[in-house]
Amino acid sequence: MSWLIGALIFWALAWGANIWLANGRFRASLSVRIFVPVLFGITILVLWEGVVRAFEVSPVILPAPTQVAETFAASTDLLWQDFEQTVLKGALRGYVIGALAAFLTAVAIDRSAFLTRGLLPIGNFVAALPIVGIAPILVSWFGFDWQSKAAVVVVMVFFPILVNAVQGLRETDAQARDLMRTYAAGYTQSLIKLRLPAALPFVFNGLKIAATLALIGAIVAEYFGSPTRGMGFRISTGVGSLSIDLVWAEIAVAAMAGSALYGAIALIEKRVTFWHPSQRT
Amino acid sequence: MKTTLAASALALMAGGAMAADEVRLQLQWVTQAQFAGYYVALENGYYDAADLDVTILPGGPDIAPPQVLAGGGADAMLNWMPSALAARERGLPVVNIAQPFKSSGLMLTCWKDTGITGPQDFKGRTIGVWFFGNEYPFLSWMSQEGIPTDGGEDGVTVLKQGFNVDPLLQRQADCISTMTYNEYWQVIDAGVSPDELVTFRYEEQGVATLEDGIYVLEENLEDPAFVDKMTRFVAASMEGWKWAEANPEEAAMIVLDYDQTGAQTEQHQLRMMGEVAKLTAGSNGALDPADYQRTVDTLLAGGSDPVITAAPEGAWTSVITDAALN
Repeated sequence: MSWLIGALIFWALAWGANIWLANGRFRASLSVRIFVPVLFGITILVLWEGVVRAFEVSPVILPAPTQVAETFAASTDLLWQDFEQTVLKGALRGYVIGALAAFLTAVAIDRSAFLTRGLLPIGNFVAALPIVGIAPILVSWFGFDWQSKAAVVVVMVFFPILVNAVQGLRETDAQARDLMRTYAAGYTQSLIKLRLPAALPFVFNGLKIAATLALIGAIVAEYFGSPTRGMGFRISTGVGSLSIDLVWAEIAVAAMAGSALYGAIALIEKRVTFWHPSQRT
Repeated sequence: MKTTLAASALALMAGGAMAADEVRLQLQWVTQAQFAGYYVALENGYYDAADLDVTILPGGPDIAPPQVLAGGGADAMLNWMPSALAARERGLPVVNIAQPFKSSGLMLTCWKDTGITGPQDFKGRTIGVWFFGNEYPFLSWMSQEGIPTDGGEDGVTVLKQGFNVDPLLQRQADCISTMTYNEYWQVIDAGVSPDELVTFRYEEQGVATLEDGIYVLEENLEDPAFVDKMTRFVAASMEGWKWAEANPEEAAMIVLDYDQTGAQTEQHQLRMMGEVAKLTAGSNGALDPADYQRTVDTLLAGGSDPVITAAPEGAWTSVITDAALN
């Protein structure tokens, strides 16, 4: 029981510290803004550890964070191999292919009213396909290795990026377009100088949404047949062999990879769309 | 009003006191003839006669029976011994209390035109293997043959096979895992002639491990009431199995009645029951220590990647079958 009491005391103290910091004099400083959520995360881990130890929860149901950390440290080779297979090969390649395809389609749709009426509904249709339905089909088309995972990712990321890019390309106001016309700018010129920059905030929005989708797609696709590596493979088979600590370690890697990808895109966005009102501080 | 309430409360209490003992059995897979004995015992009233209220919980691709047992979701589970022993070594003390399946129905089914004639021909091939605890027999077989399972010219490339036979039909794999009573017939039903296939039964390769035993948590066996309940459960279940063996067609129809998904077909279940009866034949429910030893030896001979690292202690008990069958 002392574990539970200790965890609860830590919780109360951390809560108090966070309230004090969040209302304190330095609440706007970067270090406090980072410290508060980090402390919150640590509190959850401490509570988890306390509850698991106090109630002696079986490790095949819920392992303690320290046990997960031990497993993580002991199996970095395995985790890296899975990361390479799922994130670097499956998710990222599918993400790049899907994003490029969606972007080019958006420009084509923007160019022609015919395609707007024809292609957008198809994009919509593709987005409505259930992933658990198409994943096994794509596995049987593209094989068990990362290619079929990339294909699932392409299908998943295509629509959010397409819709955002199409919307973004329509974002310029009539005055700006008229101005370009008075400069005698052709379609390509006004696209590159005016409409693409204006579309960027929307495009980045789509890219950010798609970043986490890509990871989910790659992991879920591995449930439907995979070589004997990859995060989805490890998660789905780890449950069967009761290595739940390894499953949690994989989940931690997936969460970190997803956050890192999202963060990287957000950082690029900040650099590229510095002029946009949302980026001004 | 008060008296009616009191009377009904009394009736409830009486009912509670006389109610049959509850048993929840977690199956390894969806409702099918692989579990016919339990459905027959339920349908024919063998459980009722033993004063048991049995709930049969179907499994599926994402249900790990040991986890259900650990979480208190079931009193007993069906499991393959490799998976159960691995769970035991990972700190979930499960104990085999009965073994209705005498023989293993696991095999590898390969295309004959690949020229595979024996295990040594697997080198350089791609083989579909089920995971979720079902990969252990394969891994120990390969390590006994000295074939690595991480691909390459001299090893086999292992695919995580879903629970269908597509990888073989589409030739993404040269061989896949099949059960004599299930997937093998799916390949045949897909229009493949048995002549085009070559099969390797684990039983004949000397690496057969025990399948479909009844397992409970070790700590529960310290409770005499639980032991008594399980004794009646095993006796009634075996009665169901022997009836199913003797009456395969009726047994298959009973299974179909209990299949709430409606996914099973009559033809498939009739055939499955016929094949399953061959596997349960020769077992009266009691675990044969020699079979157990062969399973443990197979698993221990795991080479670089052993399934279990030490011979398990107390992984099975004859207490229940001794009482149930005498």
